Amino acid sequence: MSAPLTQDNIVFDKVEVKYSEYVYALRGVSLTIARGEFVFLMGQTGTGKSTLLKLLTREVKPTSGRVLLWGREIGGLPERDVPALRREMGIVPQDFALLPRKRVYENVAYAMRAIGATRREVRRRVPEILERVHIGHRADAFPHQLSGGEQQRVAIGRALINNPPLLLADEPTGNLDPAHSWEIMEILMELNRRGTTVIVATHDQMVVERMSKRVVNMQGGLVVSDVTPSDVSAEAITQHVTAGWDDEEPAHEDHPILEPEPPEEFEGPIPLDEEDLEPEVPPHA
Amino acid sequence: MLDRIEFLLTEAITAMRRNWLMSFAAISTLAVALFLLGGLGYVLIRMNAAAEDLSGRFEMRVWLRDGVSKQQISEIAADIRAIKGVKEARWVPRDIEWKRQIELTPEVAYFDNPFPDSFKVILADISLGPEVESKIKALPRVDAVEYLRAEQQFMEQLMNFLQWLATFVGGLLIVTSGILIYNAIRMNILARWREVRIMELVGASRSTIRIPFILEGMLQGLLGGFTASLLIFAAQQAVAEQLKAVLMTAALPRFPIELALVVLGGAGVVFGGFCSFLAVREPVRRRMGV
Repeated sequence: MSAPLTQDNIVFDKVEVKYSEYVYALRGVSLTIARGEFVFLMGQTGTGKSTLLKLLTREVKPTSGRVLLWGREIGGLPERDVPALRREMGIVPQDFALLPRKRVYENVAYAMRAIGATRREVRRRVPEILERVHIGHRADAFPHQLSGGEQQRVAIGRALINNPPLLLADEPTGNLDPAHSWEIMEILMELNRRGTTVIVATHDQMVVERMSKRVVNMQGGLVVSDVTPSDVSAEAITQHVTAGWDDEEPAHEDHPILEPEPPEEFEGPIPLDEEDLEPEVPPHA
Repeated sequence: MLDRIEFLLTEAITAMRRNWLMSFAAISTLAVALFLLGGLGYVLIRMNAAAEDLSGRFEMRVWLRDGVSKQQISEIAADIRAIKGVKEARWVPRDIEWKRQIELTPEVAYFDNPFPDSFKVILADISLGPEVESKIKALPRVDAVEYLRAEQQFMEQLMNFLQWLATFVGGLLIVTSGILIYNAIRMNILARWREVRIMELVGASRSTIRIPFILEGMLQGLLGGFTASLLIFAAQQAVAEQLKAVLMTAALPRFPIELALVVLGGAGVVFGGFCSFLAVREPVRRRMGV
């Protein structure tokens, strides 16, 4: 189920991203995310979930269609306005992107200084941010002295320096064990409870099932299912998720966002990643 | 504001320290280029001054035709003095010239005086020699003009060669150092891709990302300019010491080190800033990983 089209929403309207004549990342995705929602973008590598995030950060421009952030069209935003756009969101990359020669405190402080914060502001806010992501006790540690989960918490802390109403996380648990994954998810949930819209691209099915949040499942640059927690149980989410990975019929034919898969003999655009060119093995096989 | 400047400067210095070998190559090449340009420029200025001093010694001799009256001689003197580039024109009567010759070679005393009246002309500007010569030759009752054309030409050729050498070698080195500064900045952008990526992730402005790299180029230029000034100063001191030992007197005037630091340092800053500006015009963007 998608949220209504208002100024408080993030809207992808028939968005197509084409890297070349034959290489598509997204093939006409329509999706609406309401302010304050927590959404998982699920799917295998190369299905277009990262591209959806990149459209919001304006790393990628839509080839066609519209991307609206809180009612503002950002697809055609001039390059000079992109930094201001990014200050409206927090971005958590998959690889943490921490500076190895700087301590935890300095990593967050550096990012704050880069956006023009004074030393006084940095001294006041950094400890507060580190406490918020439960890493204050490791403020003097270097990244290599931290566990994966702790590094990810620093990356999330850094994403909070602008007090963003929107947090985008790309595979935040991709490099973590289940215990640390859950720690990260708890932090994201806490931020969501405080009103931050959280969009997480992941293929961590276990985390998604346990969180019981809205799940947008993607495949081949299309949204193949969109399930809210009130709709279905954890088992049903699993079914939705894995159904899309089988190249079989979509799970919910009556779903408004669901679009039919291209036929086998479809000779149109090819998937973006080479992995997708290999024979696909269903996760439950 | 000061906070901001401090951040940008710290970034620039960190970048230079991180890539010190490349920075050193750029600074030293620029220093050698500016040393050649500035040093040879200084030598040319000194030679020009010396040539002006020497011009008094480049005497021109104007021989008049036989039988010129005193009235005509004073008219010719006025005409010569009116020519641009002439400092002084003195009449040498034929009898006085003949007496001098007899003093030099007494055996010629048995002959008749072959000399006509003449003028000794001293030039104000050595480079105007040929022009003065042709104007005097065009005067009526002037038979011939003699002067040290070869010496004057040698001085001019020497100065032209030095000018050419400074322009060519210095220019070549300037281009090389420009490429080195450009490369140093590009390499620093690559070396600091993590910082650039983080700045982009959190929405730092384009100027915040680029200014440290431009500052870095300007710093390299400044250091190159200062090094060149000190090298020229050291070279000048060494030459002055050598000349002093030979001539037993202070042969060269004091080198204007303060002026050299300002001029060459300024030139380095402008040049380094320009090269680094070209380097950051290429996209510094990296994948943000989302």
